[in-house]
Amino acid sequence: MLEAHVIQTKGFKNVDGGFQVAVRCPYYRGIWASLLEGARLTVDGETFGSDAIVWTLGGRSYAADELAESVDDRWAFEEPALLTVDKPGGLAPGLHEVEVAITWRWSYIPVEMQPTTNISNRKLVLVS
Amino acid sequence: MIDLGVSLYSYGGDYLVTMTLEDCLADVADVGAEGIEILADTHIAGYPSPTTAWVDDWHELVGRHHLTPTCYSSWLDTRLRKDRTLTVDEAVPLLVRDLELAHRLGFTILRPKLGVVSLDLIPDPVWRETVERALPKAEEYGIRIAPEIHAPTPLESTIVEDYLDLARQTEHFGLLIDTGIFQNAERGRMHSDSRFVFGNPDPELAARVAREMSKPMNEDPALLADLLPYVFHVHAKFWDMTDDLDDPHLPYDAIVKVLVEGGWSGSLSSEYEGPRDLYLASDMVRRQQAMLRRLVAEHAAVAS
Repeated sequence: MLEAHVIQTKGFKNVDGGFQVAVRCPYYRGIWASLLEGARLTVDGETFGSDAIVWTLGGRSYAADELAESVDDRWAFEEPALLTVDKPGGLAPGLHEVEVAITWRWSYIPVEMQPTTNISNRKLVLVS
Repeated sequence: MIDLGVSLYSYGGDYLVTMTLEDCLADVADVGAEGIEILADTHIAGYPSPTTAWVDDWHELVGRHHLTPTCYSSWLDTRLRKDRTLTVDEAVPLLVRDLELAHRLGFTILRPKLGVVSLDLIPDPVWRETVERALPKAEEYGIRIAPEIHAPTPLESTIVEDYLDLARQTEHFGLLIDTGIFQNAERGRMHSDSRFVFGNPDPELAARVAREMSKPMNEDPALLADLLPYVFHVHAKFWDMTDDLDDPHLPYDAIVKVLVEGGWSGSLSSEYEGPRDLYLASDMVRRQQAMLRRLVAEHAAVAS
């Protein structure tokens, strides 16, 4: 099951050389990987751009430019994506202000209004 | 015969948060609806390649709750590639893949949401040849393909005319009508814990499109009468229901009247699109189903 919020509390943790955040698909349907144009992650005012974020979808990892080529892979509606960022030493344990912006193309919205970006904010606790 | 159904889109905020797929199906059965509509990309775990176990489970659940799969709603993502839109050769296998999966799951109508090429939502011209080339599969599977007429597209429009041109040539292609086109009262803004920014247009264009997308279109339900032979499925759109079980934005009395008097046969599929507060959708669906059931009975009694 998922949390209602786009940004999930479960999955927020330090990993080797950085940290990661779990994000559920902000659309009402799953998204083909090649429709994703990138993400922007801001933690306590520090911003990590698309090129600094590695996506993990269904157990496979992608750099932002690899997503564009992946027309057969998906961000499944039922499975949060893991966004991983390099940050030596990771984040300090405690409460963090997290903002996630996800950008992707909708085919049935006029191109003048594309791409679409979803922006979410949530305070997340990093335990260790 | 009009049957009452529910699109699982209605449970958008609750799905996989407070309700599993089975909970949603049980909820639909509990209000006495029969038809079940799904969003392929949302409700099929592992789409487009669910496991055999998932497919077996689906059939078991649908059978146990005495539901009938109606419409399989899918998308033709013509902008799948960043640098160009899809060719017909690329689009056909995607549509056929959905027809095959819809058939495996027992659906008889497929709604392909088509990519658009203009501000007034003209579909990408690849749609026509793509559908024509997929038609033999649709015929083999007994599935009817029905793109959706959705606000702000009027019933009297080039878009509808172009669809009808093909619909007159085959029984396996027609229309899905979203009743949002009959909206006759302003509705409030949706609230959400995340916000959407559409492109980077000038503020004037953004405001104009936002107005266009939510303003009442005031289409006359009577215009549906002549189209009924080509209408395969109806989304009974709603954003709210009052305590006296009426819809504050849509003239359902007039809509149901046209369907009943025209002898229309198909599923009137509840599509709740109001606030996504948890535990709200189930109550809203119940309210609308009660209203639809009352209106169908009233108009049927008058017609007979």
